[in-house]
Amino acid sequence: MPRLTRRRTLASLASLGAAALAGCTTDANTGGGGGTVPAADDRLPLPIEPPALRDAAVSGGPGKDGIPSIDEPSFVAPAEVDFLADGDPVFGVARDGVTKAYPQSILAQHEIVNDELAGDPVSVTYCPLTGTVLGFDRGATSFGVSGRLVNDNLIMYDRATETWWPQILATAVPGPWNAEPETRSLREFRLVWTTWERWRGQHPETRVLSRDTGSPRNYARDPYGDYNPREGYYAGGAPLFPPLREDDRYGPKRVVMGARAPEGAVAFLKDGLREAGLLSGQLGDVPVLAVHDPRYDTGYVYRNPDELAYESVDEGVEGPAGITYAPDRLPLDRIHTFDAMWFAWAGFYPETDVYE
Amino acid sequence: MSTSEGGDSPGEAGGGPDGTGDSGGLRTTLTRTRAATALTLRRRDSLSVVTGVTVIYLLGYLWAVGDLAPGFGGYGLVLAADPLGGLLRTTSGPLSFAPVALVRAGPLAYEASLNTLVGLGLALLVGLNLGLTYLTRKQPAACGLRSSTGVLAGVPALLSGTACCGPVVLVALGLQASGVILTAFQVLLPAAVLVLVGSLVAVGRQVRPEAMAAASGSGARGSDNRE
Repeated sequence: MPRLTRRRTLASLASLGAAALAGCTTDANTGGGGGTVPAADDRLPLPIEPPALRDAAVSGGPGKDGIPSIDEPSFVAPAEVDFLADGDPVFGVARDGVTKAYPQSILAQHEIVNDELAGDPVSVTYCPLTGTVLGFDRGATSFGVSGRLVNDNLIMYDRATETWWPQILATAVPGPWNAEPETRSLREFRLVWTTWERWRGQHPETRVLSRDTGSPRNYARDPYGDYNPREGYYAGGAPLFPPLREDDRYGPKRVVMGARAPEGAVAFLKDGLREAGLLSGQLGDVPVLAVHDPRYDTGYVYRNPDELAYESVDEGVEGPAGITYAPDRLPLDRIHTFDAMWFAWAGFYPETDVYE
Repeated sequence: MSTSEGGDSPGEAGGGPDGTGDSGGLRTTLTRTRAATALTLRRRDSLSVVTGVTVIYLLGYLWAVGDLAPGFGGYGLVLAADPLGGLLRTTSGPLSFAPVALVRAGPLAYEASLNTLVGLGLALLVGLNLGLTYLTRKQPAACGLRSSTGVLAGVPALLSGTACCGPVVLVALGLQASGVILTAFQVLLPAAVLVLVGSLVAVGRQVRPEAMAAASGSGARGSDNRE
């Protein structure tokens, strides 16, 4: 029986969500340089008004592009990878027949890879301080690292309009280089945070981001700590900067599988989901189902408005009709779900429901 | 070993025989500091101290800023696409520069950047301070000094090794950043340089090189030790 720790009031999120829905578009954000940033159909919730987010931004130390994005990535075959241990984290994506893995050790020093997947221009983004990896369609432009943080989270900027885009919020906010951007959200895609061994086992044909990034960096050194085993900043302790809101229900670095939508936000403790296999919850007023995927040790969140009964079985997840599905293939509406450190999730989505 | 030549007492260098006013005192101070520094570099024993400290400090500095760290193994050199163009590019702070080359040397990897030059400058200052302090400890009577000054001056310099890293150091220490701390990081390195130069001058101005040279004995290299 999952424990429900819920804060139902989503007033601020709802009001912003309503405003967002009114302004939903699928058009492009055309700016200087002729580039475009594709916008999502629905706008994601913001914790506070956009100008307040700008005010809450702090310098993380580096200046604009002080952390250089990888703009011309190259890839190697698994047989050529001698710099990853089995347990090292990678961020994997399989899309339209293309399978790629982005080692966390490389992303820790670049945070953004402007890449293509099956011909689609995308950005793979990673914030070490919040433990979040998200993929975005980037259109004809690219993203860079602004050097600022909000709620310890990477603020990206697009090189067409120089608009600020906090990574987790994935929504345009005012910044010094574009003071009045239209408030819209990015189109996202899922990256799986897993280990090199797990990803390689599932995708032996995968391509792997090469250390030949154009920057002479020592990727054996992660300035923040280590994930294999977990050490330093990643292992615990306080976030680097005070979060937007403190929530001590869990340790700040505890990992949750978070999902947010115009209706609100929901989080499942990753270790709890791992143990339970399936967890039910609510995203706003919508019933949701979280599913653990033991192949990658990750999770997915689905809208389950009819609260259909699913059961975890050896081969996957068995639906109400007795059909067994892979954990990422349930016949439900899947919501973009990603790993995040608890403090970051709670800071951005204080009204989130949390299940364990 | 002379203890009273010139009649100066510690702390009175500015009013010594060559210094009759403010400008004269400053001139004396700089002259003595320069002479003391030169003497420190000429004597084999103090030069060894300077060299050893400089090398150790520089290695420690590079380790602290992460430019020298364990690597993936193997040997090789990776150059940035435009090494000269990227030389002044800063990364995690105003005095933290992006690497323009990566040297893989077995278990170690070295990222070459202007950080090395910054570190070398600091290391030389620390080395000179400690070399001069060594001399004053070895021949305090000739210098008329309390010899702890140079040692203490090295402390902020050692701390400044972390200044380039900015908030990353806080991560390592498990501390939460604040505006005050971040500001402190930004001024730590220039402050360390000022303290080190000040310390060198403070010690050097009290040294009478001619007395030290005369008293230096076997540690010197013949006539080279005389000013």
